[in-house]
Amino acid sequence: MAENDDRNDEADYSPQSGLSRRQFVTGLGGIGLGAVLGGVITGGLAQPASAIAIPASQGYLLVDTKKCSGCDSCMLACSLTHHGKASLSLSRIQVAQNVFTPYPNDITISQCRQCPFPACVEVCPTGASHVDAANGNVRTVDVGKCIGCERCVNACPFTSSRADWNFEDKHAEKCDLCADTPFWNEKGGVGGKQACVAVCPMHAVTFTQEVPVQAGDVGYNVNLRSKDGWAKLGAWAKTT
Amino acid sequence: MGRRLLIGVIAAVAFVLGMVYAWRIAFADGTELLFDSGWWLVLLAPFLGVLAAGLTRRTAPVIEGDRVLRHDGPAMLEHWTHGIGTLVLLVTGIALGAFFIPSLLSQQQVWAAMNVHFIAVVVFLFGTFYYGANAFLSRKRFREHLPTKNAFKFTVEHYGHLLGNKKYDMPPEEKYFESEKIAYLLALGSTALVIVTGLLKVAAHVFDVPVWIMGVATPTHDVAMVAMGLFFVAHVLFGAILPMGWPMLRSMFTGYLPLDNAKSEHAGWVEQIESDDGEPIPIRTMEHPAA
Repeated sequence: MAENDDRNDEADYSPQSGLSRRQFVTGLGGIGLGAVLGGVITGGLAQPASAIAIPASQGYLLVDTKKCSGCDSCMLACSLTHHGKASLSLSRIQVAQNVFTPYPNDITISQCRQCPFPACVEVCPTGASHVDAANGNVRTVDVGKCIGCERCVNACPFTSSRADWNFEDKHAEKCDLCADTPFWNEKGGVGGKQACVAVCPMHAVTFTQEVPVQAGDVGYNVNLRSKDGWAKLGAWAKTT
Repeated sequence: MGRRLLIGVIAAVAFVLGMVYAWRIAFADGTELLFDSGWWLVLLAPFLGVLAAGLTRRTAPVIEGDRVLRHDGPAMLEHWTHGIGTLVLLVTGIALGAFFIPSLLSQQQVWAAMNVHFIAVVVFLFGTFYYGANAFLSRKRFREHLPTKNAFKFTVEHYGHLLGNKKYDMPPEEKYFESEKIAYLLALGSTALVIVTGLLKVAAHVFDVPVWIMGVATPTHDVAMVAMGLFFVAHVLFGAILPMGWPMLRSMFTGYLPLDNAKSEHAGWVEQIESDDGEPIPIRTMEHPAA
């Protein structure tokens, strides 16, 4: 067999460090290997069980599907203010109409509920889906961190998912209560306006800072027609 | 040979089992993303490569009868781990979507592709750092890859000869063609970029990496992927598909190149082995031995 190619190891010996090149490489590999394994094992053993408290959102969208005329203005406004495009598919609020179902159950509005325990935030592996403390704890997606695994889209317990898939830029996105609307000259977020609320001609979408009732759709699909008038007459239930 | 084959088979089986495992758990209940649960393996693989290089003893090229030992066992290990890792990373990376290319997958397929990507990352990092540490230990092997100041001129001469020009003004080719040496720089740069940006993407699974860093890392990762893809396609074309590369392909499994082929394609390298001084052969006007 041929001679050893590393016969110059001795020539690489450094009097300053007292190490040969090979000793340095072997030591670096061994120490690094030990540090990673030691860190993982120690971290796993020493890490205490932790409870994560998620602060409640300071804002919520409420809708009244019985008031909605299905004009899709809210969807177009959402897409326009966030993306500068009139695309129903890029809207974070979705209005669906079932032509085979008579009024008042023909329209469904899927707006993000800003859940107290947001599954979309919990499952995100990179922290892209997060609670935005700087914007009233709204649950939103940092698209720069999103790796496109669609976990949040699938984790959302509601149908249709309130975490949407941006098919153009390939990342998740969701309602941020208009905290980040680069194509709108209005202050959004919990202390500002929401495009869907502002544009709805029927006033079928509104904003509240009260935490809605967390039971089915009762707290989110409410009576925005009249709190007293029609309800008193018994024409409509006070809530759905 | 028998021992080398056994190690190769074991490594290949381990790699395939890893892929199958990664794919299967993506479709199991309580889907797991290996980048979350096994991120530490991404840190472990480079150190394992460095340690393995420190414990490795290389064998210098040598003429044995009618054949030349071109690739010793470590050379084959670093080549195939880096190469197969790169191939799987490219396939899964492109399938996951990059730039304007839409993702070809959906939902659980995305997670499965990410898990396969993870296994390939570990293999790729081991192979790359194993190579890097070996190059650090033997600078001569590293210098063999670097282009000379006349690299472009020599490349034109080399391919001019292949197109029929009988006379050319350059030294006989050494272990690597000058064109390969230029491509090596592309591979080196793109590999470094892919690793740095890739480690940042993995870090995002563990730490709260600032969004502006991710905003730079993600497109840079994609640009480096394109550069690696170009190198990979050219490498496979010249090294495995065109018949002129078949002896070299065989040597990547056996370690040996026929002496006739080595004298024909790498006369300067054979001269270096015979003289055993490792010095470059000077420029001279000559006819190619195969002409």
